[in-house]
Amino acid sequence: MGTVASYVLKKRLSGNQRYPLVLMLEPLFRCSLACAGCGKVQYPPHILKKQLTPEECFAAAEECGAPMVSLPGGEPLLHPQIVEIVNGLVERKKYVYLCTNALELKRRLPEFTPSKYLTFSVHLDGQREHHDFAVCREGTYDIAVAGIREAVQRGFRVTTNATLFDGADPASARAFFDEVMEMGVEGIVLSPGYSYDKAPDQNRFMGRARVRRLFRAILSNRKPSWKFNMSPLFLEFLMGKRNYECTPWGSPAYNIFGWQRPCYLLQEGYAESYKELLETTNWDEYGVASGNPKCANCMVSCGYEPSAVIEGFGSLKGFWAMVRGTFSSYRDEGALKLLNEAPSHPPASLIQIEQAETALEETKA
Amino acid sequence: MTAEVMKYTREQVEALELVPGAQHENLEGWIPTLADENDLRQALEKAFDYRGDVTLTLKSGEKIEAFIFNRHTGATLAESYVQYFTPAAPEKRKLSYAEIARLEFSGKDRAAGKHWEDWVKAYNEKKAAGETNIALVPDTLE
Repeated sequence: MGTVASYVLKKRLSGNQRYPLVLMLEPLFRCSLACAGCGKVQYPPHILKKQLTPEECFAAAEECGAPMVSLPGGEPLLHPQIVEIVNGLVERKKYVYLCTNALELKRRLPEFTPSKYLTFSVHLDGQREHHDFAVCREGTYDIAVAGIREAVQRGFRVTTNATLFDGADPASARAFFDEVMEMGVEGIVLSPGYSYDKAPDQNRFMGRARVRRLFRAILSNRKPSWKFNMSPLFLEFLMGKRNYECTPWGSPAYNIFGWQRPCYLLQEGYAESYKELLETTNWDEYGVASGNPKCANCMVSCGYEPSAVIEGFGSLKGFWAMVRGTFSSYRDEGALKLLNEAPSHPPASLIQIEQAETALEETKA
Repeated sequence: MTAEVMKYTREQVEALELVPGAQHENLEGWIPTLADENDLRQALEKAFDYRGDVTLTLKSGEKIEAFIFNRHTGATLAESYVQYFTPAAPEKRKLSYAEIARLEFSGKDRAAGKHWEDWVKAYNEKKAAGETNIALVPDTLE
């Protein structure tokens, strides 16, 4: 936290208006899962076989200068030089979040060295049957949990990350928080799903009103045992307690195509350098304030968490709100009612496995 | 974003319950008619969005199988270009719009047909048949 705080303060004092916080470094698009909702891996085989070299990864990290590097994908553990990439980033004192489905995590752990700079961010979308159904493969949850437990036992930093789509059951999400905290993880990361243009399924994307209701139900009346590896102000944003504009340059994305314009989620083109990305992207065309339909439902962390972090470390008022948020349980009787009420909209099938057929019919009706 | 794209007001955005998803065109196999400069620009814009390979035929007669991942549109065709990877070459390549005579959406659309509903249907059928370890598997890389 201190590293990020001093980084933000230095940037502010230097008058820098646009600076990165997290580099989204996608070393490859290949994946060992075939999730129906994914908008990231639909490429021809020759593209899926390509990958960034360690040198390209280090050059991108050094060029943009973000203190944190997230390694999503694809599945980074499929990259034959992922250990070299991680070690090189750690040597550069980057806080690395290796995002993995954990199918290979337990087997690969001996190749990595525990470090305060390295965190395994394991994809878990919910409780066992919910996660398995979401990633379209039975047995995945148990494998991932075995990987998490082994990583924790070996002294690695571990978080979980979940994406919630329409129909997510808030009560189940809260039970899931109990489960993952019991596993010994450092914190939980959450995000509402984003309406990727390229996702094969285009019917399960929540609008902002529904996102706020869902996250208010999930994140209010918190248990003291729950820890979130996210800015408390960003969580308040998801709960509808704050408004932020998007900071798309806060989490720039680099992959085999170059620097993705304008952000990790939208693919409107590529720049050859981070400098070119910053200087030649028309930023006014993006974010919720722009009215751009492609940004209309986005409340995703890559755009809005930088806004929250910058507020949190950019003023005493923001810092105090962050401290207060860290220790608040967010008592909210209205949220309890939301939790206990039947959903006001037809549940999607995502986490209603036994009722999948019925739910689908209701969704179509 | 082009000026003609409908914009939401802030109030509309904040009140949205569900977001309409993108409408995907079925482009696989399509050979656009390139009668004029505008046709070419529009077709290459679709090729940039397409999640499959295309075949570019140059005015020289050369054919290139390519995955187009970027485009730059300038005032003239000569100033506009696509960037692409081919299955055979490791490096990024660049090609001016002015060199392109024909375009075919020749490769499989990798974003087509993998709907959530298909997974739900397949899951329920397999479950009813008593199968275990039900899964979707990634496409092969060959």
